[in-house]
Amino acid sequence: MIRQSRLVPAPRRAVAPTLEARRVDKSFVSGVVRAQVLHGLSAAIYPGELTLISGPSGCGKSTLLSLLSGLQTPDAGEVRALGQNLAGLGKRALERFRLHHTGFVFQGFNLFPALTALEQVQLPLGYLGMDNKRSAVRALRVLEEVGMAHRASLRPAQLSGGEKQRVAIARALAKEPQLLFADEPTSALDAENGQRVIDILHRIARQHGTTVLCVSHDPRAVRHADRVLSMEDGVICNDWLPADGPGRAAH
Amino acid sequence: MIALARKTLAYEWRRFLPAVFALGFSGVLLTVQAALVLGIFDSASLYVSASSADLWTGYPGTQSVSFGRPIGPDVEMRLRMDPDVQDVEPYLWTEGDWHAAGARGGDVSVYVSGISTGSGGPSGAMMFSALLPPDLRTRLDEPGAVVVDRADLGQLQVAPGGEASIAGRQVRVIAALPGLRALGGVNVLASLDTARRIAGRDAPAGATYYLSRLRPGTDPASVRDRLSPDRAFGPFETWTARDFARRSQHYWLFGTGAGVAVLFMAVIVCVVGAVVTSQSLIGVVAGSAREYAVLHALGASMAALGRVVVEQACWVGGLGLLTGAVFSAALLALADSQDVPVAMNLAVSLLCAALVAVLALLSGLLAMRGLLRADPAELLR
Repeated sequence: MIRQSRLVPAPRRAVAPTLEARRVDKSFVSGVVRAQVLHGLSAAIYPGELTLISGPSGCGKSTLLSLLSGLQTPDAGEVRALGQNLAGLGKRALERFRLHHTGFVFQGFNLFPALTALEQVQLPLGYLGMDNKRSAVRALRVLEEVGMAHRASLRPAQLSGGEKQRVAIARALAKEPQLLFADEPTSALDAENGQRVIDILHRIARQHGTTVLCVSHDPRAVRHADRVLSMEDGVICNDWLPADGPGRAAH
Repeated sequence: MIALARKTLAYEWRRFLPAVFALGFSGVLLTVQAALVLGIFDSASLYVSASSADLWTGYPGTQSVSFGRPIGPDVEMRLRMDPDVQDVEPYLWTEGDWHAAGARGGDVSVYVSGISTGSGGPSGAMMFSALLPPDLRTRLDEPGAVVVDRADLGQLQVAPGGEASIAGRQVRVIAALPGLRALGGVNVLASLDTARRIAGRDAPAGATYYLSRLRPGTDPASVRDRLSPDRAFGPFETWTARDFARRSQHYWLFGTGAGVAVLFMAVIVCVVGAVVTSQSLIGVVAGSAREYAVLHALGASMAALGRVVVEQACWVGGLGLLTGAVFSAALLALADSQDVPVAMNLAVSLLCAALVAVLALLSGLLAMRGLLRADPAELLR
């Protein structure tokens, strides 16, 4: 069954959206049961903002993130990122697109135990063809930006949870992506570290003009987001600006 | 590029240890097995390789030295007629049961080699020239004097200087040497006269083989070709020493089924090595699946991640090779010190190393399956 999104019209902005979902459907098959997760959902995400997708567990927010980031393809509908239809890209082209344009921060920090913080950040730069000398300079600069330069030589086992997440953010940022996706980046962190991570994501959006799309049910994240898309049962039920309070559409 | 494979290997070496050991022990098994086979089959051609003859003449179609049949004394004349043959020496092969004096228990089957005890011309006697010092050879002239391998003394229940009988004929062990061990029996060296006495009525008028030394610089193959069978001298066939040694080895390797058994064992070792190594590597890769998934999400291609896994396999292979080489060398040295017939040459050791390298690479390719779990979408929940 395909249900129409109850979303009010997409916010009007002076700039074009960098991410767009147009009437996308997504379902998963588990055994003989087919679960429809997204129902004809449409959304537009803009650069220079920290956009938050929130909602209860199982509402489809992570699925929406995976579609918008090109990690999965929709069953129906269209996903456009930076003006490109992701469905039209082959596997290799999609890998190249992610390499050049996207950064990811996950709930688990997923850092390589053998590498120092600096090397973790350098690693993706190598895939861009950057030599170790140049990548070290850039990695250190990004670590500085997230307040981790002084811990650059430490391995994950020597870092706290908050520090690991900041290294993970630096790793995602090092490529200077136009699109940054974060999935529950604060859920494994205490209040102070969670706050710091949210601040960093917010700053990245503002200072670099990056499109930051974050999935979270952390109320702190909601307070610091520029825009919140509330989801329920596979559709966006509210699109609002935290500054104005829930219920008001972001026009 | 950050050396992810090498750094992970160095930091998490404990996780890679089972794979390194699996490859190392595969290498040890392959090497020791090959060394044993080489050693055993070297002993099949010992009679040829420890002697300095250029040509061997025996009964037509003889498969291995130990299967010799008598040839007539006229053959010696035929050989001496060739202008390039410098010297000819008879070699008598016979078998008998060894019974040590005062020993209890059964007899031991022995191969008696009746060899020339003379100086054998300007270059010395040919048979067992690499093993038997000239003075000891001369002492074999003493009636009933025999030389055995020192590793066989226990089996023969005799000590140097001790007495025994072969086929009822009295013999005395005048010395025990290393390197005389034979395939399938015990080698006993004696003079031609002693051997004839042991053979008794079975002793041939001629010999089992005639060994020929050629003039320096002569091509053995061309002389062999000249010595074509001639009815006037009775049945005989001539082989170059190299051909005859190979003939003996090939017979034991391929004619007896031993070669197939060895090959079968080698395949088993390779399969077990590949399975254990790849399973260990798959475990390591699967353990880092989430980290690989993040890299994949960030745009690192599956091919690039696969290269990391294969590089790790290569490192593991290198370390396994080193472990295998050290253990193999130690084991072969130990075997050699215990008179176990082992032999190794560069070609075979390189072949074993190449097999281990192929195993490592194969395991790495199999371990790439572990990357299938590195799906970035799985990281989202």
